[in-house]
Amino acid sequence: MNSLRYLRQGSAAVFIPLSSKFPVGPQLLLRKRYYATVTNADLYDVVVVGGGPAGLSLATSLRSSSVTAGLRVALVEGLDLAHARNWKSEPETYSNRVSSLTPGSVGFLTDIGAWKHVQRDRVQAYHGMQVWDGVSGSRIEFNWNSSASETIAYMTENSNLVHGLLSRISELGGVEIIDKTRVESISFGEDNGELDLRTWPVVEITGGRKLVARLLVGADGANSPVRTFAGIESRGWDYERHGVVATVKLEEGSRVGVEKTAYQRFLPTGPVALLPLPGDFATLVWSTTPQVAAKLKTLAPDEFSAMVNAAFRLSHVDIDYIKGLSEGIAGEVQWRERVSQFDYTRVPARVVGVQDKSVASFPLKMRHADSYIAERIALVGDAAHTVHPLAGQGLNQGIGDIQSLIETLEAAVQHGQDIGNSSLLPFVTPNISNIFSLANQGSILSLEPYYSAQYFKNDLMLGVVDKLHKLYSTTSAPVVALRSLGLSVVNTMGGLKSLIMKQAAGRR
Amino acid sequence: MILKRIAQLAGARTLFNGSFSALARPPPNYEGHIPLNPPERAILAIGNLIATLGETTATPYFIYRLRDVMLSSPTGRRILRDRPRITSKTLDMDQLRKLPDGTVGREYAAWLDKEGVSPDTRSQVRYIDDPECAYVMQRYRECHDFYHALTGLPVIVEGEIALKAFEFANTLIPMTGLSMFAAVRLKRGEQKRILTTYFPWAVRNGLLSKEVINIYWEEELETSVEALRERIGLEKPPDLRKIRKEERARKKAEIAARETLGPS
Ligand SMILES: Cc1cc2nc3c(=O)[nH]c(=O)nc-3n(C[C@H](O)[C@H](O)[C@H](O)COP(=O)(O)OP(=O)(O)OC[C@H]3O[C@@H](n4cnc5c(N)ncnc54)[C@H](O)[C@@H]3O)c2cc1C
Repeated sequence: MNSLRYLRQGSAAVFIPLSSKFPVGPQLLLRKRYYATVTNADLYDVVVVGGGPAGLSLATSLRSSSVTAGLRVALVEGLDLAHARNWKSEPETYSNRVSSLTPGSVGFLTDIGAWKHVQRDRVQAYHGMQVWDGVSGSRIEFNWNSSASETIAYMTENSNLVHGLLSRISELGGVEIIDKTRVESISFGEDNGELDLRTWPVVEITGGRKLVARLLVGADGANSPVRTFAGIESRGWDYERHGVVATVKLEEGSRVGVEKTAYQRFLPTGPVALLPLPGDFATLVWSTTPQVAAKLKTLAPDEFSAMVNAAFRLSHVDIDYIKGLSEGIAGEVQWRERVSQFDYTRVPARVVGVQDKSVASFPLKMRHADSYIAERIALVGDAAHTVHPLAGQGLNQGIGDIQSLIETLEAAVQHGQDIGNSSLLPFVTPNISNIFSLANQGSILSLEPYYSAQYFKNDLMLGVVDKLHKLYSTTSAPVVALRSLGLSVVNTMGGLKSLIMKQAAGRR
Repeated sequence: MILKRIAQLAGARTLFNGSFSALARPPPNYEGHIPLNPPERAILAIGNLIATLGETTATPYFIYRLRDVMLSSPTGRRILRDRPRITSKTLDMDQLRKLPDGTVGREYAAWLDKEGVSPDTRSQVRYIDDPECAYVMQRYRECHDFYHALTGLPVIVEGEIALKAFEFANTLIPMTGLSMFAAVRLKRGEQKRILTTYFPWAVRNGLLSKEVINIYWEEELETSVEALRERIGLEKPPDLRKIRKEERARKKAEIAARETLGPS
């Protein structure tokens, strides 16, 4: 029973041992020798499509783990990564794409050696959170005991993170990064007689080169070509909302000595959040209708600032009216702020400026792939799931995927070791005999544990975030009363609150 | 009218002078404001004096609704910004009386004269904490007399109830809704007229016409009532006096007919 080969199988198993149920003998392999088209140089253990935060985190962790470091890895990215690699930060200027990384995510990034390459003076930790209902005003406050200085999350520019990951990858070496190159098509390999690659995905990239993958990872974002190839449905809906992002400047020294706090207010059209950056800067994420998003993007800087201040201070009726104005927005907001009743100590500092060209918007949607795995294929990050940004969890979920996938791959490789063969690294210099030698070890590289660890966890998060969005998109009085009651009750329950915070912080 | 009289009689202010002031009272938020502490608020809400009932039940929810209606309209917002008051000082009654027939100002003055009241008769709002909401309530009260001019509804009980029903449908302020219970005290014939003629008019127009709280009355004094009604999409209500006259005539005719026929 030592004769093993790769089999096409409906399940997610990548390698399975040949049993007597599959009477495919060497004669068959020999007969097809004639068709050999693949050269050894094109064979990879892992081909990652997508050089976003998820793809780069995966490549980094594959190289930094002593268990998987021997695998041959290629990463294909359509965009030019030179920009990210040579990223030079300008003081007092922040990218508008900022993610709140939970302590859990940062812990993982530290473990794989990437966090030390992230510019820490541009990362802003926060310890407090104010979340309130834009209709009833009922609110929930989260404050870690500041003496324990527990961090809720770290606001990190995506460019800073990607730069850190790329630095770590070049420090480790060994990942073949193919950027400025798109995946043009994906197909299955052939049985060339020597090698049966009929279950191996073959990635054809710009220029015609073909990469043959033992495992193909789709880290290729929401419109994942890998997912499409795998025939995995992604289900969900568009929110008919856009997330408007911007880098804003707050009133100078407005919060000196005050713990940095994240603010989020649920307006009927969607939540608006202001999250702290270093100094007097902050990043805005305002989910609103596409029409309002378009309008916000056309506003002059002082009007834009006025609208953001209005979003945290005025009644939703006021905001609705003011955003329809074609002029005089700043004056209108000034008057309304004077006569509106709100608690100065519980709203963010006043926005006094918006960074040039930093206002942008993204359509918001909810998507969840039916599965994260298919034969020799795994999906991670936005390719597997897209979530409404109201909980700032999108990228954190992606990092959770990487963490779980790497554990699964480590276990698979270690399983091969258990069999007793000393050769753990059959693919470092890929040649056909080595591939058979691993096959002969009877290694079962199954992706199932990755799927079962992540799918339901992510599904729960997606569900909760989606329900929150829906719960807060109404002004219906009974719903507002009930949700406000719920929020107030939770706010008084210390235990439950710290549980929620631990969850949100990704602590295990 | 009954309602208004009760309100005047009650003089809401007298209610709590003394006994409750022992409880710590926060400073007022605007002139004439009396901040309430929770027990007072509770007692006020329970109390069945209509004027105070209006004020306490109107805080916080319904008055916010009314304010939101104003905040959604350019004119409503202008009113909130200017906070104009309708008093004998701000309105020159002599001037209004001289306006041409059929103008808002003339009809309003005529209505007040007939009633023997002045714009100052409306009681001062005292128990609403938010100064803007307090103003909205004040405005709501001060505008009421203009609604008579606008609709042409007479000052008899039936007219007042019809107007209240209209206001309720137009603003959804509960106080005006509660006041409609006054209809039970009407004679059977009057009740029937209210139910079959005026409620349908009131509901239809209250819901379909633009919100009357957003009319800047001070700017409409010289506008013809007809034109204003048209602008906000309000139908003229059936002429109450005419209907009553006709009804009386019909009754008389019936009686007369019976008498002439005599027992055969
Ligand atoms: C407004 C907004 C605010 C957000 N805020 C937060 C937050 O606070 N916290 C958080 O955790 N998350 C946040 N997110 C989500 C987060 O940005 C995403 O989850 C994250 O960027 C996904 O990373 P990814 O690597 O999976 O995908 P992507 O970043 O989309 O990367 C996919 C990559 O694949 C490449 N690619 C695609 N197709 C091909 C192809 N055919 N060939 C070659 N390359 C290809 C693309 O060029 C791209 O670089 C936010 C999202 C939005 C819209």
